[in-house]
Amino acid sequence: MNTKQVQKFVQAYCDSTGCHIVEKCPGRVTVKLSPEADRALTNRPYYWSFVDRTGTPPETLTYSWFFEAPSAEDGQSSPLSYLMTPAGRVIQEGVYFGSRRLQQLFDVVRQGGRCVTLFEEPARGMGDPLSSQPYTAWLGANFKVSFACDMRREELHSYGVSLATGVIDDKFMDRLQGRKLTPRLPANVHLLRNGLSLRKGMTQLESTIERKLKNADFAWAAEAEERRQDELARIGQYYEPLLKNEDEAQRKLFLERFEQRKAEIDWQYRPRITLTTINCGIFHLPGIH
Amino acid sequence: MQSFEPALEPDFAENSVEQQSLSSAQEHQTGQPATSAPLGSATSFIDPNPRKLNPLVDLHIDRSAFEELDRRVQRNGPWDDWTLYQMALEAEETELVADFHALQCVKSLPRFEPLPHQVETARKVLQNMRGRAILADEVGLGKTIEAGLILKEYLIRGLVKRALILVPASLVLQWVRELNGKFDIPAVAQKKEYSWNNDIVVASMDTAKREPNRAMLLEAEFDMLIVDEAHKLKNKRTSNYQFVGGLRKKYCLLLTATPVQNDLSELYNLITLLKPGQLGGEGDFASNFVQDRRVPKNEEKLQEALSQVMIRNRRSDGGVHFTERHVTNVPLRLSPEEMALYEGVTSYVRTHVKAETGMDLTSMLSLVTLQREVCSSRDAVFLTLINLFKKTGEDSPLRARIWELVALIKSIKSNTKAQKTMELIRSIDDKVIVFTEYRATQEYLLKFFKEHDLSAVPYRGGMNRGKKDWMMDLFRRRAQVMVATEAGGEGINLQFCNHIVNFDLPWNPMRVEQRIGRVHRLGQSKDVRIFNLCTLGTIEEHIVHLLHEKINMFELVIGELDEIIQQLEKEEPLERRIAQMVLESADGDELRRRMDGIGEKLLVVKQREGREKPR
Repeated sequence: MNTKQVQKFVQAYCDSTGCHIVEKCPGRVTVKLSPEADRALTNRPYYWSFVDRTGTPPETLTYSWFFEAPSAEDGQSSPLSYLMTPAGRVIQEGVYFGSRRLQQLFDVVRQGGRCVTLFEEPARGMGDPLSSQPYTAWLGANFKVSFACDMRREELHSYGVSLATGVIDDKFMDRLQGRKLTPRLPANVHLLRNGLSLRKGMTQLESTIERKLKNADFAWAAEAEERRQDELARIGQYYEPLLKNEDEAQRKLFLERFEQRKAEIDWQYRPRITLTTINCGIFHLPGIH
Repeated sequence: MQSFEPALEPDFAENSVEQQSLSSAQEHQTGQPATSAPLGSATSFIDPNPRKLNPLVDLHIDRSAFEELDRRVQRNGPWDDWTLYQMALEAEETELVADFHALQCVKSLPRFEPLPHQVETARKVLQNMRGRAILADEVGLGKTIEAGLILKEYLIRGLVKRALILVPASLVLQWVRELNGKFDIPAVAQKKEYSWNNDIVVASMDTAKREPNRAMLLEAEFDMLIVDEAHKLKNKRTSNYQFVGGLRKKYCLLLTATPVQNDLSELYNLITLLKPGQLGGEGDFASNFVQDRRVPKNEEKLQEALSQVMIRNRRSDGGVHFTERHVTNVPLRLSPEEMALYEGVTSYVRTHVKAETGMDLTSMLSLVTLQREVCSSRDAVFLTLINLFKKTGEDSPLRARIWELVALIKSIKSNTKAQKTMELIRSIDDKVIVFTEYRATQEYLLKFFKEHDLSAVPYRGGMNRGKKDWMMDLFRRRAQVMVATEAGGEGINLQFCNHIVNFDLPWNPMRVEQRIGRVHRLGQSKDVRIFNLCTLGTIEEHIVHLLHEKINMFELVIGELDEIIQQLEKEEPLERRIAQMVLESADGDELRRRMDGIGEKLLVVKQREGREKPR
């Protein structure tokens, strides 16, 4: 992420959580957090439980975020500083790729953007106000597939399944691109009856991905397995002579170590694929699909 | 945690097997420990019912987000924001590890830029060595940085969550600072019991192997283990070795600057800790590679086997630029009063040694210290004399002798060396660090500089971390001079200063090197100028002669000295050897001859090391 992208990301977060932008200039933004953002970002659980229990109006923090990464020279200095202004204390802080604050924002949006139900807003003035437009419910999900052995690689996939017909779209986020979505059911719209349950829909998506993965290239896994066997053979030639040790206690000790090393190698090299649902939602889109 | 009431709709019942697997997956998510957790459950999601994708590969499915959706549908909300939903995907895209190999960590280190050889080392360890390696760079090339890069990369890739870093006690804080400051790795120093709960802990080896920590750590499993100063693990029978061998770890880095190759069995032990069998079984190793304890056979094969587990970058490989060192000796003559004191102390030491033949080495050494102290300042020797006076029996004839010496001290009105140092600092007209061996001298110098309007700050080993930092900061911003008694230990990095005055010299060349190392290291952009004060006609003259003219140590490359001294000190510490010579020599000439002898030996070692270099 470059400086501009980071700034856009932070701006989007502030807008969607209702933060008050005090001042904005290229490379820097000063923002008074909304209660929601304050709870998520400032790590003040005691303060917030105090506010919740006493009903005191909350006093949120104000940050001045700059987006240019510091140079190597001032890398030693603290990334945080305070500034006293007539309006109160302002915390100055760098937000750039690799900084803890951006990392935290990533985690916060992952938590805060997990499950949605949305409707597409029909274009204004279109269609007959007396007739009703049919909407199809889609289950959309973003998946992360991680291929791991002693190394690791990841892929993202965005799938959607029509809960009416079971049709599958393997570029679902693209389908949503440019549509105006709202959490409220628009007027003059009726929802089609679902042929699939939510769970059935999810199973369909999973088995689609599973089929795709089955046909993918497993050379990496074969290589990892080769490495695993190689490592096992290596420790075998070390420990096996030791297991012929005369002394019972010694032998037991070596056997224990041998087993431990084998378990470590398995842990490190055994190839595995993990499919994680990053987030998912129900999307009601116009048309019958 | 919200309670979850499964609604038994027909759809749910129709697939009861799957239902079961889903709910047990959920249990796992809520953090209930599985009864027999396999190794590695800490880092990656483990599906209790994985499916086979391929004879080699299981598919684990983490449906927690979907379960959440399902729950919210039952309760009709609440629903998340569409923008955040898209941003969550953007965050995942940004942090995606798209490639098995390309290093990800370099782009997320905004605060510094690693050197090419450091990045290359990290890449090799990850790709070719499968995350288990000995990092054996020569001193000053940044092993800590390399270890940090590797750890960061595994953290980014989600292959490491828990890491244990074992280092000497004096380096714990320095490691924590480097990892936090340079790499944004949230490492903590082990201080209290609860510190162990952190994912990334830096602890001293001694703390870690003490009960109850030991038992607890041996039960745990670490995705990564890093051991600094790993040459201390060369002996199989030590508790350190047994302890590290017993730890459960996935990736493992051993850091050492000592050329372990010099002793083959030690090398073998170290590698066995990392990858048992890399050099074959114990018997195979002896017959395949060992000629004599220090002499390998089948050198080429050995080197090849080693190169799979060990990386040793050398300064001579180039790529790292160090500035030069310029050494100036500043000879000076003591004032007649000071010389009288020196003669007095010397004759006292001589007669004392002769009087008590059965003297142990330690008290001999403390006598020689007297002579060295006179060369530094009257304040230093005064304290020692007073202590000596207190220790001597009331009726001892030595008491009167000591008192005479104290009287001589009183007659000294000025310190020739301090005068000279001040002239020197004035002429340098830039930041200067003055090193002395003695607290009393340090105090005196600070007072002396203050009287002459030179701003100076102290620095010594006994200060706590905060005070040390403060002094460094004062030196950087305000003071022209720092007067330091300690050079070793953790992190004083003074690259912004390039002048050193050795007010007096330690007899251990390693300590001299440590002093210079504070200033002459990666990041120093100017040539370093070193001034040695040398009082003529004293033992100091001999030491300066040995270190400077004989082995030319001040101009050795950084780290080269380590190796030379280690070779020589296999028998006896150098410092002691010199002390013994001073006591046993009848006069200056004999002393000089014997010093030259040591010098020759050092030269021989140096040449041998030098020959091994070009590889």
